[in-house]
Parts: sequence; structure tokens; C-alpha cells
Amino acid sequence: MAHATDDHAAHGHHIIPIPTLLKVFGALVALTAITVGLSAFDFGMFEIPVALGLASAKATLVVMIFMALKYDNPVNMLTFSVGVLFVAVFLIFTLLDTAFRGDMDNVDRLTIEERERLNEQLQESDVDAEDLQVAPSDMQ
Amino acid sequence: MEAAAHAASQTDAEPRTYLNHETSLWEWLTTKDHKKIGIMYLISLAVVFLVAGLLAMAVRLELMSPDFSIMSASQYNQTFTMHGIMMVFLFIVPSIPAILGNFVLPLQIGAKDVAFPRLNLASWYVYIAGGALTVTALLVGELSTGWTFYTPYSSQQGTAVIFMTGAIFVSGFASIFTGLNFIVTIHKMRAPGMTWNRLPLFVWGLYATSIVQVLATPVVGITMLLLILEQTLQIGIFDPALGGDPILFQHFFWFYSHPAVYIMILPAFGILSELIATFSRQRIFGYRAIALSSVAIAMLGFLVWGHHMFVSGQSAISSIVFSLITYLIGIPSGIKIFNWIATMYKGSVWLQTPMLYALSFLFLFTIGGLTGIMVGVLGVDVHLHDTYFVVGHFHYVMMGGSVIALLGGMHYWWPKITGRMYNETLGKIAAGLVFVGFNVTFFTQLVLGSQGMPRRYYEYVDRFAELHMISTIGSFILASGLFLVLGYALHSLFYGKKAPQNPWAAATLEWTNVAAIPDPHNFTSTPLVTRGPYDFHKADEVFGGSGDGQARGDGAGSDASRLAPPEAAPSAPKEDASA
Amino acid sequence: MSTETAPATTESVETEHDHHPPHLQHHFVSSEQQFDSAKLGMWLFLITEILLFSALFVAYAVYRNWNPMAFAEASSTLDWVLGSVNTIVLLTSSLTVALSIHFIQKNDKQKTVISLLSTLVLAGGFLVIKYFEYMAKFEHGIYPGEAFAPTGSGYEYLAAIPYVPQFFSIYFVMTGIHGVHVVIGMGLIGWMAWRAHRGDFSDEWYTPVELTGLYWHIVDIIWIFLFPLLYLV
Repeated sequence: MAHATDDHAAHGHHIIPIPTLLKVFGALVALTAITVGLSAFDFGMFEIPVALGLASAKATLVVMIFMALKYDNPVNMLTFSVGVLFVAVFLIFTLLDTAFRGDMDNVDRLTIEERERLNEQLQESDVDAEDLQVAPSDMQ
Repeated sequence: MEAAAHAASQTDAEPRTYLNHETSLWEWLTTKDHKKIGIMYLISLAVVFLVAGLLAMAVRLELMSPDFSIMSASQYNQTFTMHGIMMVFLFIVPSIPAILGNFVLPLQIGAKDVAFPRLNLASWYVYIAGGALTVTALLVGELSTGWTFYTPYSSQQGTAVIFMTGAIFVSGFASIFTGLNFIVTIHKMRAPGMTWNRLPLFVWGLYATSIVQVLATPVVGITMLLLILEQTLQIGIFDPALGGDPILFQHFFWFYSHPAVYIMILPAFGILSELIATFSRQRIFGYRAIALSSVAIAMLGFLVWGHHMFVSGQSAISSIVFSLITYLIGIPSGIKIFNWIATMYKGSVWLQTPMLYALSFLFLFTIGGLTGIMVGVLGVDVHLHDTYFVVGHFHYVMMGGSVIALLGGMHYWWPKITGRMYNETLGKIAAGLVFVGFNVTFFTQLVLGSQGMPRRYYEYVDRFAELHMISTIGSFILASGLFLVLGYALHSLFYGKKAPQNPWAAATLEWTNVAAIPDPHNFTSTPLVTRGPYDFHKADEVFGGSGDGQARGDGAGSDASRLAPPEAAPSAPKEDASA
Repeated sequence: MSTETAPATTESVETEHDHHPPHLQHHFVSSEQQFDSAKLGMWLFLITEILLFSALFVAYAVYRNWNPMAFAEASSTLDWVLGSVNTIVLLTSSLTVALSIHFIQKNDKQKTVISLLSTLVLAGGFLVIKYFEYMAKFEHGIYPGEAFAPTGSGYEYLAAIPYVPQFFSIYFVMTGIHGVHVVIGMGLIGWMAWRAHRGDFSDEWYTPVELTGLYWHIVDIIWIFLFPLLYLV
């Protein structure tokens, strides 16, 4: 019979017992309390890693148990992981620019406006200033 | 041979095809048939291509000579902006997946439809809504930002930018819906025996494309939303006057728009594999390498967006990293080119129109790819950035790659889509015109750019006059070729020869197991796949040919009937309870 | 990659519409195939949601990296108590929606409806708290973008700190888009509750409930990250 498979289709799904759900919920609330409690202390440079680590732990619990990814088809896990991976790529590669902006030391750090203002000041202070401007480094 | 007998009994009466089944306008507009949705996309995209192409002709006319003018500077800015936006967002990004992917994908994997037919129809309506917003943007004001919408210029423009970015936000959903649908379809809807290693390479190309569509498109959506908020509320994320960072906008924009280049080219790679294998009558060389290099390109494509920003003022360290990874992209692309050439080696190359486009692609895409490596070099890019060299480069990739492959694919599947043959002679002439016209237009631009002609300029100095004139003449040759295609395509709809089931003697399911014009449900019985998609070398055993002479393309001229078409795959057992 | 169940496909035209359970669409072979497809599709949709928000997180990271002090000052004016309460509210709603799936898998229609309705109430509670938080900010002239003009004690000093407006722009955009997702989720959950009440679902077929649940959990997860990043700098 072509549709013999239909009958047991629904029974292949994992039913998560209520105690498990409640335990996970308890852990989530506890982690939230820890997050709030720890925010009172100053961890300096570790502040963001600590906050993100706790948030990731909570997110992992939700994804694995509430969303049942742990019991699910591996292809769904792969899908989700790829999504998270590319968020990381987006974040890291953008920060690679913004965190190191202006790291080339042979470029002019002043903006064009600041440069023009300096230029004007130079002209006001010295009548012969125009003759002195030979190279960009002269304009400092 | 139950299937054959069944097919024979249907030919007595007018056979039921998807074209003569449920034909009223309302039934078309509410259809969930992937084939009809593909055709609806084909018609809409053809209109967009025509309009955007005419805009390109207007740009070329304006630049024909420094003394000659057909429009004002601001009209010129609007013209190239609309040309870019329509071509990129509304034509090339959806083109191959939405037209050929929709039509061919379920046929190639032996499925009745895509996984979510309603979502498929919704994607077309969302696309049309995006198109409507584009038209609104045209009507409400000037749009002269270029297709890249760089801030702060774009965030200080009028309402037209709001509508246009809204259009891109909306049409992005169409792209996501298509990609999502295809991934699920490829994972879950394959016919029995259609393993991952037996998937036609067009399917692999679409799979890689869909991954990029799903991962990248949401980011352009939120970027456009932030740009709208920047305009309306001045939220100060992108506008330097408010403390924002315009380079951040470029990061956001290119995080989508660079992978979008791979959305455009990956399905083209897929078509190429089909054409080269079928018209060389040879098993594709390096099947796995081609399949996996598509996925590799899709992934690597996310790591190189900063090479559009070498002169933007981003940090030197990120420029260096982006430049290095950009070179890496050359590896999987090169693997493909070598494999295609190796496939033709000692094959029986049959120079029909689709194959002419495939050969054009190899030539044009190689130029496009190599010039891409050139502008990916940090020092060289400082000189070439924002010149016609870049314009030439991306036209070689997008038009010379994606659009040429689309044309090849359209010719290849035209008999399956319409049930009619186009005029082969005119097809070859048009392919020649397109190839010559394209090179005259855009190779000239590579030269122009290396001499320092900046892009997007309304006027230029006299020493560029001759090359601009040549480029414009080339564009007319190109346009004449494309209009010739349009002409004989329309002609063939009414007067073309009736197409046989498998005019190219191809070995994939849409040719071997589907009627000349497909049934509304695609297959009369589910195929059971027992061999690879290009197993022409098994001609003796599998296809029933004598092995030499009969199944060869060369020397056969254009007489397709002398080819022994591969045999259909057998039907899957109907009572398959163990599956 | 080919780790999923063996692909199945269409059957012959002649036998279509025979013996199908009512929920099975014609182009699928089995309920299993239809369910797996729907679920994979939903996961793909969820990663588009994650990437949609990722751009906002990137903007946040960039501006916080540049202006840590401004972000700390601006963040201190947000009410962390209300934020924490809202976190617990959303976590609880995630639990109830997970319970609703548990009950429908056991074919307990009444408890399914009750779980879904509690989720709806909790989501509404989240929005009400969010509304009061927004109003408290608007009263003191804290708006996104150009309208930003802090007034009143405890807020005025913000006007002198550069890049504080950026924090609030990002705050309003992130929580605003998250709020839109909550509203959409409420619509879906309400609809599911109605359909469950009508008896559309059983342990044989409850795909829409499951997919709605997945969507709601993602809304929760995004808030899990928003909360420490915005409230507890």
C-alpha cells in the first residue's frame, strides 16, 4: 500500500517531557538572574564576553530543547549553524575595519575642513606663507 | 515499457499539456504550477530587461561623442541609476533562478512541483509589488544615487530614494522566497535514486545560489530600512553630519551586494555545465569539483565584500585581508573553467546556438574573472577604482557571464518551454552579433578605464572621444543581436517547427522522461533514477545506440534526428512501502 | 549534506487524491515528507530573521566599540528592572508555547488551547511593559534621531554627550523591529489557538503549531541578546 508510511509518520516525532521543559525554564530564569547580578560588577574588557556568553548559553538551551533541534533532523541543525556562522562573519569582518580605522600611518589624519582651516591660519599668520607650501607636510 | 505505452495512448488525442490545461487569465494568475510561474516571471523580466536595456542605449547615445547630447546632466544621472537598479535588482538577480530555475528544477529532479507552490506564486506577486514601487519612485522624483545608494548623498535625497529602497526591500522577499523554496525542494523532493551525486549541475548551481539568497538578502532588506529611517528620522547611523559612519553603510550594502554577484553568476555556471556536457556528448569532467566549487564560491563570496571599498577609507588591515581572500575566489572559478574545457576535449562538439552561447561565456567570463583579479589587487585598484575599467569588468561578468548563460539556457530549454523550435540559422547569427557587439562595447571600456576615464561622468575630454564612439557602435550591434533574438523567439511561438521530446539528445530527466510539452503534473509516472545526468559514455549499454556514429553530434549537422536520444529512466515502483 | 531521510517523491497521476489524509498536499508523497519540508523551510526562514537582526547588532557593536562611555551613560537611563521583568515574561511565553506543542503531540486539545492563550497573554504583557518604557523615554524628550532633545532631571546631561543619540537610535530601531515581530507572533499564536480550538490539529498533524512555536522562540532568543546589550552595559 502506497501510503503505509503515513500511519506512523506522526509517531516518529520526539515528545519532550514536561519535567524537561520545566528544568530548562528554571535554568533560563537562573541564568537571567546571574546576568543581572553580574552586571553590578565591573569586569573591564571581559564585560561583553561574559554578557554574551551567558546570553549564548540561554539561546542554546532554547534552540536545543524548546525548539527541539537536539532531537531534530541534522539538516536543520546545519541550517541554523550556517546562519549563526554568517552572523559571525558579518560582525568580525566589519569590526576588522571599524576597530582599526585609520591604521595607515602615511595618510593625513586631519579632515579636509581641518586642513583648510589650518591653511587659512597659516596664511593669516604669515604673508609669505603661500610660498612655503611646497609639500603636504609643510602645511602642518 | 508501460510508460512508453502510456505515452503512446495519449498521443491519439490532443495530449494534455501544461499550456492547454487551465488557460484562462484567472487560472494563470492563481496558478501554483512552477512551470507557469516560470513563464510569468519570464514575461515580467523580459519587460524589465527591455526597459533597462533601452536606458543603457540612451546612456551610450549620450556618451557617443563629447559634442553630442540627448539629455541633461541630471537626466543622465537618473538614466544610469535606473539602468543599474533595474538590471541588478529587478533583472539579473531574479533572472535565471526565477525563470529557468522555476521551470526546470522540479523537472530535473523528478518532482511534481517545488516544495511550496503557494510561496512560489507569492514570490511573483511580491516581485511585481517591488516593480510597482520602482515605477512609483520614478514618478515621484529624481533618483540619481547610482544603484549603490551611497550615503550621505542618498540619505539627503528626496522621496524617490524612499520608494526605491522600499522597492528593493520588497523585491528582496521575492528572492528569499525563491531561494528558500529551492533549498527545500532540492533536499526533500528528489525522485527515488536521484542522489546528490546524480543531481544535474544546474541543480547544484541553483542550490548554491539559494544559499546565498537566503543568507544575504535579509541584510540588504534591513540596510534599506535603515536608509529609509536615516532619511525620515535622521537616526544618525550612516550620515556623517549626524555622527554616523558612511563607510558602515558600504559594509552593509556590500555584505549583500557582493554575494549578490554570485547570486547572478552561480546559476549561470549551472547552465554552462548542462550545455557543455550535452553539446559535447561527453560525461562532464570533474563532476564533484564543479558541484562543490559552486558551494565553495557561495561561501567564499561572503568574505570578500570589502574589495569594493579599498579607497573608501576603511582600515588598511581589512583591505589587505579582503584583497587576499578575493584572490582565493579565482581558484574555484578556475576549476570550473578548466573542467568545462576538459569536457569538450575529445568530445563531439555540436555547435548549435546554445553551445555558441556557452563558448561565448567561456571567453567572456574568463576576461571578466581575470579583470576581477586585477581590480582585486590593492595597488592596482587605487588607480582603476571608479573608472570604466570597473564598468567593463562587471559587465563582462554580469552580461558576459550571467546574461549570456541565460540566453544559452533559454535557447536550450525553449523547445521544452514552448514546444516549438526556434530558427537555428537566425539563432547562430544573433549569437554572433551578441558576441561581437558585446566585445566591441565593453573591451573598449576596459581600455578607456585604464586610460583614466571615470565612470558615471556626463562629459569627458576629447581624447576619449574615439573609444567612446566605438563603444557606442558596439552597443548598437549588441542591441541588434538581442532584438533579433526577441524577433525569432516571438516568431517561433506561432510558426516554429513542433519540437520533439528530446531535440538535443540530452540525458537529464526533463528531456528523457517528460513529454515534448510537459504535462501539468510533469511526469506520467515517477522516474526511478539509475544513472548520472551526463552518462553519455554509457551510450551502448544504456541508451541503446551503437556507440559510434549514431550518438555523435559532429558531422550530424543540424539534423537532430540522427542522434540517438538517451533512453528514459524507468518508472519507480508504485508500491514502495519501505521508502 | 545528505544526512536527511531518503528523498521520496511524487507518484503517478492516476492514483493522486486517493487515500490521502486531508492535510496532505498533492505534490508530496507522504506526511513525513511534507512535515520535513515545512520544517526545513521554517528553519531557513528563521536564519533570514537572524541575519536581518544581525545588521543591527553589527551597528551596535561598531558604535559601542567607538563610544563605550556614551553607551554606558545612555544605557544607565534604561530601566533594568522592567527589562528583567520583560525577559522573564518572554521566557515564560517560550515555555508555554513549548508546552502547547507537547500537549498537541499528546492530542490534548484543551490544554493546547490554554497554553497558546497564555502565550498570547504573556506576549501582550511584554508589549504593555514596553509601551510604558517607551512613554517614559518620550516624556523626557528621548526620541530616535533628529527629535532627540533630553529634558528633565536624570536626562538633561545626556544632551552634552556625543553619540548618545546613536545609542537611542539603535535602541529604538532594535526594540521597535523586535516589537513588530512580537505583534506578528501574537497574530499567529491567536490564529493557532483558534484553529486548535476548532479542532484542526491532532497528534497526526500539527505542523502549523510547531512552526509558529519555532518563530516565537526566535523572537525570544533575539530578546535574550538585546536585554544585556541594551540594558546592562
